[in-house]
Amino acid sequence: MEATAIHALLQSRFGDAVLDYVDSYEKGSLVAAGRVGEIATFLRDDATLGFESLMSLTGLDWDGYDATGKGKSVDILGYDELGRPETSDRVGDGDLGVAYALYSPRHGHKHTLFVRVPRAAPEVASVAAVWPTAEWHEREAWDLVGIRFAGHPDLRRILLDDAWEGHPLRKDYAMPGAWQGVPLDGRDYAAGKWTEADVTLPDDVKRPEDAKLPDTGNQG
Amino acid sequence: MTQDRKDYVESTTPPAGYDPLREQCLDFHVAEDLAAMAGSDDKNFILTTVDNLFDWARLSSVWPVTFGLACCAIEMMAASATRYDIDRFGAGAFRATPRQADLMIVSGTVTAKMATRLKRIYDQMPEPKWVVAMGSCAIGGGPYFKYGYHVVKGVDFIVPVDVYIPGCPPRPEVLLDGLMRLQDKIRGRRGAAKLPKWVADYARKIPYVNR
Repeated sequence: MEATAIHALLQSRFGDAVLDYVDSYEKGSLVAAGRVGEIATFLRDDATLGFESLMSLTGLDWDGYDATGKGKSVDILGYDELGRPETSDRVGDGDLGVAYALYSPRHGHKHTLFVRVPRAAPEVASVAAVWPTAEWHEREAWDLVGIRFAGHPDLRRILLDDAWEGHPLRKDYAMPGAWQGVPLDGRDYAAGKWTEADVTLPDDVKRPEDAKLPDTGNQG
Repeated sequence: MTQDRKDYVESTTPPAGYDPLREQCLDFHVAEDLAAMAGSDDKNFILTTVDNLFDWARLSSVWPVTFGLACCAIEMMAASATRYDIDRFGAGAFRATPRQADLMIVSGTVTAKMATRLKRIYDQMPEPKWVVAMGSCAIGGGPYFKYGYHVVKGVDFIVPVDVYIPGCPPRPEVLLDGLMRLQDKIRGRRGAAKLPKWVADYARKIPYVNR
């Protein structure tokens, strides 16, 4: 089936719960977050749809985009050229979301469910009972984007350490300078060891054209 | 077959192509040491000779610990396989336990999670031990420098590094060269080539070098 036909089928079955047709590189439907569970079960069990395979489940951050999905991307904080964490007072707004990429091995068609949840309370019903593969994928979305999945059997971090703070793939994530005593950045600025002058090459250091490193040879 | 005896007369003038710098790197200077000590009251010449012998033994059997972190480890494996054969230089016996290893090749991205494990492996290695930082990630974070929230920006935050091998990833030849530089370092102070001033000036201005 075409994605538009699948979307129409969903609309006739679930009415208002199916909000919009998503016509991007992944064709799909934007559905209400509260009714993901029953829609997922229908998609899997319906004979004409047969979405028995959840190819991937992805957490999304629409910070910088408006409600229609249009807009410009925002600056993402990182480390500056000296290795220090960049800081900003920008607070992320915009919704978080989940994308469920579905595939039907029987019929050979694809469809993607999108869910949009408010940033303040990012909670979606878990589909781990519908597609068991969602269990790890939901843990990853929780770990990196910070979306809570209600009803998940074991919602722990899966990639980062259990003691990690924050969800790093959110666009307003503030980079850490260290983690549990492990320095991540830090050219030892506090000690004054590295300054701007250390990373800018002065004009008097020029490479002579004919200079060559001596061949030291080797005797292994 | 007859030979001209004059061929065997030692000459005090250096032969053609004699490079003192190269000679400095290659020679153990045993003869010069003995000659210098023969006329002095310093009787510890046997000790220095044994040191040279031990250095030679160490640099000839640098056993790395089996330890790969990322794609650089693939190049490390290639360096240990038949085509490049790091065993030619005595570093082919990758030990499965740090207790038997002399060298840790940090081949890949060091994440915050791995850093504590890496430190533990280093601590478990017996002295004398050496560390090679292989590739951009181990040297300074590499492509994860800007947005790598989980990456240690240089393994020298965690353990002391003897040799840095740039590359992303470095080819096996470069790893072999890095091993030879390490062997130069083990051989002693004489092994290190003196850098030209412009190179030293340049290196001093680049972070993560000359620390």
